[in-house]
Amino acid sequence: MTSSYLLSWTTFVYLGAAALYLIHWVFRVQKVGLLATLTTAAGLLLQTAGIIMRWVESYKLGYGHAPLSNLYESLVFFSWLTIVVYLIIEWKIKQRVIGAFATPFASLAMAYASFSPRVEDTIQPLIPALQSNWLIAHVITCFLGYASFAVACGLGIMYLIRPQAGSSGVMAVLPEHRVLDDLMHQTIIFGFLWLTIGIITGAVWANQAWGTYWSWDPKETWSLITWFVYATALHARFIRGWKGKKIAILSIVGFVSVMFTYFGVNFLLSGLHSYGSG
Amino acid sequence: MGKKNSSKSNPVWNFITSVKLAVFLLLTLAVTSIIGTVIPQGEPLQRYLEHYGPAFFKVIKALHLYDTYNSWWFLTLLGLFALNLIACTIRRIPFTIKLWKRDSLALDLDRLMRFRLKKQWKVAGKPNPHILEKIKDVFQKEAGSVTAQKELESGQIFMVERGKWSYWGLYGLHASILIVLVGAVIGSLTGFKGNLMLPEGEAADHVLDRKSGQPQPLGFSIRCDKFTVSFYDTGAPKEFRSDVTILENGKEILKTPLRVNAPLTYKGITFYQASYQPMPEAQIRLISPDGKETRVTLPAFQKVPVPDLRLVLGLYQYLPDVHGVPAVRVWIEDGSSPARTIWVLKGNAKEFSSGSNTYRVSLVDVRNKYMTGLQVKKDPGVWIVWLGFFLMIAGFVVVFWVPHRRIYLWVGEQGGKAAVVLAGQSNKNKIHFEKDFEKVAEAIEKSLEE
Ligand code: HEM
Repeated sequence: MTSSYLLSWTTFVYLGAAALYLIHWVFRVQKVGLLATLTTAAGLLLQTAGIIMRWVESYKLGYGHAPLSNLYESLVFFSWLTIVVYLIIEWKIKQRVIGAFATPFASLAMAYASFSPRVEDTIQPLIPALQSNWLIAHVITCFLGYASFAVACGLGIMYLIRPQAGSSGVMAVLPEHRVLDDLMHQTIIFGFLWLTIGIITGAVWANQAWGTYWSWDPKETWSLITWFVYATALHARFIRGWKGKKIAILSIVGFVSVMFTYFGVNFLLSGLHSYGSG
Repeated sequence: MGKKNSSKSNPVWNFITSVKLAVFLLLTLAVTSIIGTVIPQGEPLQRYLEHYGPAFFKVIKALHLYDTYNSWWFLTLLGLFALNLIACTIRRIPFTIKLWKRDSLALDLDRLMRFRLKKQWKVAGKPNPHILEKIKDVFQKEAGSVTAQKELESGQIFMVERGKWSYWGLYGLHASILIVLVGAVIGSLTGFKGNLMLPEGEAADHVLDRKSGQPQPLGFSIRCDKFTVSFYDTGAPKEFRSDVTILENGKEILKTPLRVNAPLTYKGITFYQASYQPMPEAQIRLISPDGKETRVTLPAFQKVPVPDLRLVLGLYQYLPDVHGVPAVRVWIEDGSSPARTIWVLKGNAKEFSSGSNTYRVSLVDVRNKYMTGLQVKKDPGVWIVWLGFFLMIAGFVVVFWVPHRRIYLWVGEQGGKAAVVLAGQSNKNKIHFEKDFEKVAEAIEKSLEE
């Protein structure tokens, strides 16, 4: 059994968890909620095992490196982190509804990584430019940011579809606007810090490999655009009347920008960060 | 924020210092930054005309969309952004000073009783110094050393205050952005970037500036002694390495390998391994009609005149392995007929004619040399940028995770009985603070029961 095979299975485990969270939410069955959490945790274990196996496999092939070096590996890591961030939130606020919005992101990322013909899943050796510890710091920090933003986007969607307090129905089970707003703010702050560190480590790495810490290549520029959007979200709170809804929209727009930084740049534009296109 | 200050309530100042303008500028920067990722940057102007047509080309030219991030309007936006940030900070300073100078002990029992987070106990008997000391000890043990205290009519009040300085974190964070910008400007004004192609065995004491094309003296020489490239079994490159020597006044100062991700900095100038080019050198033998033998060495990228034979030769192409032997394509010019090329395989002589003469040409040997491609950079601003980055992360952590927290202990007399009040306040991370507060309260309660 190879790691890719193992990892492709996590797609379905997370999909199952998403279904369970949805059932828990819509039909309000407490036990299903617990089952959803357990399924998610099992998926996380499976995925962690897969990642470690892949790491070991790369050493067996003779060019060992942390599994963070190409699009496939970054997608797996993104999905893994999204689940970790989500589980922390679930544990902190003791609510499971958010799971129905977070697990699909993880499942989707894994499905794309495992089954899209555009994503190469073989273990490749590192070309000279990628042989740097800054690469590892860069990928981990960027993806901590991305995963937090994925959760913040989920929260933003929940904010927008939740009716005003006092109404009933499926949507009214969602946490209150006040709670959502606060959580969204917290996750954006957390993500923003990591994105900032991600951009900084990327700059330090680029400076070491190419001699420029900033060259306005499309991937860099898009990460800066993303950074501007979330900086806007942080400041918009200080403008009167810019609470809740507008921040929720910014949180979604910000995540679209994250997705574009991550995929769009590789497939639609060209630049230094050729990961995925080759 | 400074609403009452009439000298500063003029509309321009209000606009320049507003968060609204900041949000507007941030969004505008986000949207306009997209342009340069969609339109390729830095191509020759002609290309844009061909690709986008004359109408859009006019727009591209007027707005410098071929070099968006250095265009006047983008730099203006960045300048406005910096101005907004500076102005906003200046406007905030008095407000922060007030916050910072505010005496946290300027309160009485009534105020304490109105705190959201508070606990109170009645103690049997009159207050006495012994009880006071005991409670104070417990308080200090759990909450930390008392930072200030004062006497009230009714009793004594002790305070443990932490993190008041964190109000300044926001300045560190915002200043860090300006510091990064300043570092970038200094780097682009006082530094240079250049490329250097250095054949094995050769040295250079200057590089060509990438922007101006002018030679930029290094102040010393750098020589490439050897270049090696290695590959994985998949064919992907594994390592590029140049062994270089730094020379000053002809004296060898330093010998070091240069790899991708492991640059060399000497006297403020940094050399990066960037690329390489094979640079073969072939030795050929020509046999004239009269049987005379001429040996010619053909280095890459050079024309070699052979005056005796009235020929000019060159190495046009080199293949290391053609049917198991090396082969070179020799470029021949003899002044009369147009230049031509012929392939010569090792161990397989060829003939060509020039005028009325026919020559036999054979390949004696070919050696593959390399030319290493280095990027050369001097950037005196880079340390300022690093400082800005460091401050940005530190500022962020302070702004969001270092709270200003105060815990008050009042011990005194209420209605003839000894009483104790504990109250606390934190401006961030309140849940965590409540837990700490509970711990102090429990410890005091326990000590009172004893
Ligand atoms: C991209 C650049 C910027 C970043 C990364 C940044 C970051 C931050 C952060 C993290 C906060 C704290 C938010 C909070 O407490 O929730 C903040 C607050 C603030 N920022 Fe910025 N900022 C930037 C640009 C600006 C600019 C250009 C202005 C100019 C008006 C500005 C004005 C303010 C003000 C006034 C506050 C504090 C509001 C308050 O606490 O009352 N910021 N900024």
